Amino acid sequence: MSDRLRLVARRPLALVGIALVLAHLLMAITAPWWIPHDPTELVGPALEPPDETFVFGTDELGRDFLSRVAMGGRLAILVAFSAGLIAAIGGGLVGLAAAYWRGWFDDVVSRLVELKLAIPSILFVSLFVTGFGQSIGVLIAVIAVIKMMGAIRTSRAAGMQLMALGYVKAAQLRGERGPAIIVREMLPSVIDLLLVEFALRSSSALLLVSALSFLGLGLSPPTPDWGLMIHAGLSAIHSEPWLILIPAVCISTLVIGINFATEGIADAWGLDAARGGAHG
Amino acid sequence: MAEGASGAPPLLRVEGLSIGYRDAMGRVAAAVRDLSFELAEGGSLGIVGESGSGKSTAARALLGHYRGAGERTGGRILIRGKVLDERDPGSLARLRGIDVAFVPQNPLSSLTYHLKVGAQLVEILRTRVGLDAGAARRRALELMARTRLPDPDALFERYPHQLSGGQRQRVVIACALACQPRLLVLDEPTTALDKSTEVQVLELVRELRRSLGVGLVLVTHDLNVVAQMCDEVLVMKDGARVEHGPTAATFAQPATAYTRELVASVLRLDAAAPADRAQHAQPPLVEAQGLGHVYRTGGWWRGRAADAAPALRGVDLMLRPGEVLGVIGESGSGKSTLGGALAGLLAPSEGRMRFQGEPLPGGAAARGREQRRRIQMVFQDPLSSLNPRQRVGTAIARPMQVFFGLGRRQAWDRAAALLDELGLDAAFLERYPRQLSGGQQQRVAIARALAAEPELIVCDEFTSALDATVQAQVIDRLLQVQARRALALVVITHDLGVVWRMAHRVLVLRDGLVHEQGLTAEVFANPASDYTRLLLSAATSASRQGQDSTLAQAANA
Repeated sequence: MSDRLRLVARRPLALVGIALVLAHLLMAITAPWWIPHDPTELVGPALEPPDETFVFGTDELGRDFLSRVAMGGRLAILVAFSAGLIAAIGGGLVGLAAAYWRGWFDDVVSRLVELKLAIPSILFVSLFVTGFGQSIGVLIAVIAVIKMMGAIRTSRAAGMQLMALGYVKAAQLRGERGPAIIVREMLPSVIDLLLVEFALRSSSALLLVSALSFLGLGLSPPTPDWGLMIHAGLSAIHSEPWLILIPAVCISTLVIGINFATEGIADAWGLDAARGGAHG
Repeated sequence: MAEGASGAPPLLRVEGLSIGYRDAMGRVAAAVRDLSFELAEGGSLGIVGESGSGKSTAARALLGHYRGAGERTGGRILIRGKVLDERDPGSLARLRGIDVAFVPQNPLSSLTYHLKVGAQLVEILRTRVGLDAGAARRRALELMARTRLPDPDALFERYPHQLSGGQRQRVVIACALACQPRLLVLDEPTTALDKSTEVQVLELVRELRRSLGVGLVLVTHDLNVVAQMCDEVLVMKDGARVEHGPTAATFAQPATAYTRELVASVLRLDAAAPADRAQHAQPPLVEAQGLGHVYRTGGWWRGRAADAAPALRGVDLMLRPGEVLGVIGESGSGKSTLGGALAGLLAPSEGRMRFQGEPLPGGAAARGREQRRRIQMVFQDPLSSLNPRQRVGTAIARPMQVFFGLGRRQAWDRAAALLDELGLDAAFLERYPRQLSGGQQQRVAIARALAAEPELIVCDEFTSALDATVQAQVIDRLLQVQARRALALVVITHDLGVVWRMAHRVLVLRDGLVHEQGLTAEVFANPASDYTRLLLSAATSASRQGQDSTLAQAANA
């Protein structure tokens, strides 16, 4: 195990990524204790440029922008990581089940995955949000479903290879039941892959949450959120560009951080799932 | 050994060669240590050793090629008196193919799959020999005829996947000969081929060597191949030379214990085949009548794809308690399908099976718990037959928990006893499969099968992933257990040595049909068909050479 950590430590890219992610998590967790102002309260004149009282200036309503930026990742990160976790575990199990049972179940799952991949994510979400309402729970669920598709494919492919191996065959010959074989024999063998899936799906889920908030389909004002903040700052893009730049940098550094860390770790451990990285 | 006294430099001279591989952490692991040998013009040297002995690494170095993170850490290689410098691309280009040519193991991956066979030969002849298009084509056809490819004009226009394995290897050899090299390096040239094809390809190489006078360095794990092909043999272990000398003498009287062990692990017909110990008085354990199987493709909504040729056709079989049945045949002969049907991996599409007088349904899911318990299986690849995330103890305990409802403590105690029976320490219970050697893994897999206290174990190529000396240990252990418990075994293998050592009776499969069957000693002594004779002849030359070196010399002349 220490060798595995040391292999990661030798990759500068992985270290940069891990540092970025840790910095973001630290900020998100500790923000309530050190932010100078309540992020939803009007504390000064609107669109104040940065100075000593308001380090990042104020936004279009006169709220402290530093406090809003510091708090602006918390919900998005919560949504993204929950969705990523559900996607990795759920997708992993469904994919393994498809590989195990094959037949009609596999056909149905595979066609559904293809169908989903053919529908733009934004459209998919807007259908859901109109149907079930715009709550955090709905958001997590719908993003988890979207991000699950990739995890299903990955684990199905890995599961197909496992099905040819002696220890799975031996369990079948013992007469063990499908769910037991999937959980006892197959799942532990793909746990590395699912870890990578979790990280990559979380980073792309973060992008999706921000995009949705930007479009008004995600989190709703007055919650401080980077996507919402970029949307609000659009009207002032020429006069006060930092209102867009700062939250945009926050989103990108976190996404890049996750991707670097994942790619570095997967590379160091010889996993193939990290190819391609997060997108959309 | 070395005859370079005439003044002219020898064809090949290796002086104190050391090669190391650098891992991701920067540590260098030695793969070849201080290796020296010489080869005269037209000489032939076989390098044998088990996997990890460094034989392939050493052979590739003769072309200045180092795989991945490998590098030369000491010594030098001289080809016809000239030092080989792998860091100089120019001299490598003048060396490869022209002085030294290489024939790799897998002929399919060494040919470009989207180029016609003829075009690949022509390309070499045009770029390396400098022939024009017409001359290159004529020469390519000549080379194809030379390597005994049937109907060169037709094959010239084929793609690699349209050729058989043996034909592909002939094409690769033709490519290697294109620039008339002085030295041919063959790395396991027949390992991917069936026995009967192997005989023909080796015959070709022998004939080419005689007529062209090229030197030969042949890397293989198969002592029989060396016995047929090489005047000298170099035995390697852990990267170092164990023994080097004339083939016949070395095999007849090995100077080291390791070589003795290697030679002993090869099929020897002078040892007695296992006697027929079956308990004839008892009713049959397994009976099968008219077993047939077709692998079907296509799903419920795609419609049924065209059925492939049957893998198994009308196979009858009978096995008594305590009897060992060997099933042999080439790849595609249906032997694994037969094993899978008996073990319950697949439901045969035709035929009936009975076990202990009761009907035996196809497929484990359709069988009762007792039948599943009484029939166990040992798989080919020992590593993948054990779950990498489970400790050895967990793996062996599982069948006892499933079949006998034992608790974890009890099951682990009995697992320790099983390991002991197979010559492994109880400390192995706590280890993970990756921490075990191949032979240890396979013994654990056998222990897992025994945990169910079966009456029959189906062993599918259970030794083919193991090195020769390890094979012998695993087979011995299994035979002891078999005798002690009066187990019935079905041993599926392409290795006739395994059948000779283990099986009371043998069943020869070909194209899914039973080709021949009988007592092992009788079938081996008097094969009733040419096919069986061919299978046997490919497997027995090393032992013949060990017994009678004059015969071996005659074969080499």
